[in-house]
Amino acid sequence: MAELKTLNHHYKDMWVFPNADDLADLPRKSTSLGKTKLLLWVTLILTVLGVIGFTMRLLSDGLSNYEPWGYYMAAFSFVFMVTAPAPLVAVAFRLIRSHWRRPLTRIAELFALVGIVNFILYIPLMLMIPEIANPNEIGHHSLDIRRTLWIQVPLGAPHFWEAAAMFALPVMSCLILLLSSTPDMSASISCVSGFKKRMYVFLAGYWKGTKRQWIVMQAAIGALGGLYFLTLPFVQFLISTDFGMSLIAGWKDSIFPAIYTLMGFQTSLAIILIILYLFRKKAGFENYIGASQFWSASKILLGLSLLWIYHMFAFFITFWYGRMEVEQNILNYLYVESWFWIFILNALGSWLIPFAILVWNPVRRADWGAPLAGVFVLFGALMFNIRIFVGAFNAGREQIYDISIVVVPPAVGPDLWDVCMLVGIIGLAGLVYLIGLKLFPVMNIWEIKEGAMYQKMGRLFRGNYLVLAKPE
Amino acid sequence: MQEGRVLPPEQINKDLLNSIMGTPKWYWPAVGICSFIVLIAAIVVGYMINKGLGITGLNRPVMWGFFITNFVFWIGISHAGVMLSAILRLAKAEWRRPASRAAEVLTIFSLMTAMTMPIIHTGRPWRSLYWFFPYDFARGIFPNVRSPLVWDPSAILTYLTSSILFVFIALIPDFAILRDNTTGLKKRIYTALAMGWQGNARQWKLQIVAGILLSALILPVFVSVHSIVSWDFGMAVSVKAWHSTVFAPYFVVGAVHSGVSAVIFALILLRQAYGWQDYIRREHVEALCRLLIVVSTGWFYYFCMEIIFGIYGREADEVAIRTLQFLIYPWNWIMVFFIITTYFLPIFLWSRKVWRRNLVIVSIACISVNIGMWLERYILFVPGQINKQLFTFTWANYTPSIFEGIIVLGTFALVTLLLLLFSKVMPLVPLYDIKEGDILKTEVQIGRRTVPATFRED
Repeated sequence: MAELKTLNHHYKDMWVFPNADDLADLPRKSTSLGKTKLLLWVTLILTVLGVIGFTMRLLSDGLSNYEPWGYYMAAFSFVFMVTAPAPLVAVAFRLIRSHWRRPLTRIAELFALVGIVNFILYIPLMLMIPEIANPNEIGHHSLDIRRTLWIQVPLGAPHFWEAAAMFALPVMSCLILLLSSTPDMSASISCVSGFKKRMYVFLAGYWKGTKRQWIVMQAAIGALGGLYFLTLPFVQFLISTDFGMSLIAGWKDSIFPAIYTLMGFQTSLAIILIILYLFRKKAGFENYIGASQFWSASKILLGLSLLWIYHMFAFFITFWYGRMEVEQNILNYLYVESWFWIFILNALGSWLIPFAILVWNPVRRADWGAPLAGVFVLFGALMFNIRIFVGAFNAGREQIYDISIVVVPPAVGPDLWDVCMLVGIIGLAGLVYLIGLKLFPVMNIWEIKEGAMYQKMGRLFRGNYLVLAKPE
Repeated sequence: MQEGRVLPPEQINKDLLNSIMGTPKWYWPAVGICSFIVLIAAIVVGYMINKGLGITGLNRPVMWGFFITNFVFWIGISHAGVMLSAILRLAKAEWRRPASRAAEVLTIFSLMTAMTMPIIHTGRPWRSLYWFFPYDFARGIFPNVRSPLVWDPSAILTYLTSSILFVFIALIPDFAILRDNTTGLKKRIYTALAMGWQGNARQWKLQIVAGILLSALILPVFVSVHSIVSWDFGMAVSVKAWHSTVFAPYFVVGAVHSGVSAVIFALILLRQAYGWQDYIRREHVEALCRLLIVVSTGWFYYFCMEIIFGIYGREADEVAIRTLQFLIYPWNWIMVFFIITTYFLPIFLWSRKVWRRNLVIVSIACISVNIGMWLERYILFVPGQINKQLFTFTWANYTPSIFEGIIVLGTFALVTLLLLLFSKVMPLVPLYDIKEGDILKTEVQIGRRTVPATFRED
């Protein structure tokens, strides 16, 4: 490792520059990740617990009534929120040519595999979504069609359209993963054996690294990234409205899908940074991952935390100021009465604690600062999903076709099967991700090699500084 | 990137101070035309104050028309300064350098212009004082501090103060150069403004720290200004199309969209007018256009949210307004024209690298954005008031009068005039920033290619 020992004012390990030996060793290191057996077992056990919880809930309540499935929805939404934007994080940083992104892009892209889990978990939810048209007699306080995005109820709405959108996401993200990892699999064929070797030969055997192949690969990733960028906010919009807002009568809130999308990027970046930290500290990748990755990403995480409170305040002040009963009831239910303490935990995790951690320069420069904030961000997001989706699923089934909620319902705690499903769904996502880590090269080898050419230390007057090449 | 030559400091001083040291032929005619339009607008304002608001198209229930639209438009333009100076400075974007001063100055002048609009709109400007001062102690009538109309001036004045401070701090090293290159009264004025600047290490350090601190501190003000302006509308539950939770970020992103577009156009004009091809380069324009692709797409997302949730509730009065906006002449045409000019046309024109580097095409795109953004505010505010009540007998149309048009035109002339006057006394491209950028330029050898590079002090 060509680590700079004396960098004037720079922190040690701020930048690491892999030397020729490090780069030559990267394919081997990327395909032989150790120390995962325990994690695999833990996530497997959690998954089994989840399956038990799901089965027991199904047997006791069926799928016809959505109310008992609030925690299932919250867990699904949490996993979806965290994992679905992750491939886009990689694509976005690649598009804006951030050099520091290089060691984290594969970690982000591997979340594409969890997209398959998301789609499978979504199927029961599709079956339990209540009818859009009011099956009851329409009174003076009720509507013929409940308030949803599907104003004219087009053919197949909402099931077909939502399922199609949910299916499109993993397809696109898996293609991005496949394309991006092809050169790395090709470079690593000699380092693997057995099933993995056969898989690499099958998927990347054609790769010769010609100029044409590189151009096509990068253009395809860009195009797929663009499509993914257009599809993801739409799916986030569907989930946040159809399974959240439209199940609470009278809740009409144009900023909510934006908050959901924003939290998606916040939590994705958080989980990526946590994994990156583990890679650096526990998996022996300290020669490839410097503190600069955390330093650069922490500023974005700080910004996202501030954007969270800004959006939340924009919502709150608009609802609070008008003093309309319908809006006051929504505030009472989700913020200041029924779900008050969960909201406080949500705000602490999504905004206040990450802000308090990341506002300090030395903490942002340290490799542990952003991951620590990330842990709180994930906790806050879990609280958010419980508050919104358990709240929505238990806002009163009989009220969903009404103009507004008249009675503010109480908060609903989890039972044993809810807890099993909650941990099980998170465990399943973790299990699939770990399998991905086992199967694919965990570092983006070609990007790191490219980065080694574009970055170096240079002397300017009396100091050493980072020199960044901008080839375009 | 990095296509420009590294020029000696003397050459940079000479080139960038040519707007102050010399006077191009077009300068005084341009000042004269702008002054004339401003004068006409001022006369119209005086006439309106004398005759009353009856000479405008404002009526009951449409009480906010061209003036308030124009107010929000200019507030929006003012958001370019912080976006380009503060945010891009914190993000260490090298291509911000030539654009920062023009953006900051545009911020100040557009804010000052914006502030005149609500005052003119009152019809009796002296009554604006009642927003701040109690006017009838005996009856206990005090300004309502909970009103967004009180928050507005507070936020705007804070933003104006901090923006002036921001520009002034950045101007100090340039004032020192002007001090050293002028004589007589000018020298005395620049000496006072330069505040003893000698360019020693301590002064540079303080100047840089002040710049970074102000950048960070101005950010919340920047966000709050347009958010509060948006709440002038969002808090009004009685106007259905206005009561939307997404207004604050929607307005802020829209403001950045229009503001940065205006700055790009201004930069292109400066480049042509003063021959600053070595400083305002196509690579800078291209980078700004790429930034705008992201910003405009974010804006379009919020716009979609605003429209979708307008009809989401299927409330009769809200649907009536949306019907008016989308289906009834002339609003439907304005709506289509606004969407095309604000988003689809500029995105198309910025879609190819070769077009992003073509200054004529970029100018068309930037003008298109600002026409669209002006219309956006108009179509957002007026139809909501036309159909404010469900009862048709309380509906009324709004047709702006010629007087309103002249006053609005006058504000454009006023901002242009102020920019022209500023360019005569202070540099519109920051000299020290350009020099710093040149120092940080370097090259890296990769294989057989020499690739441009920059030093980064992260």
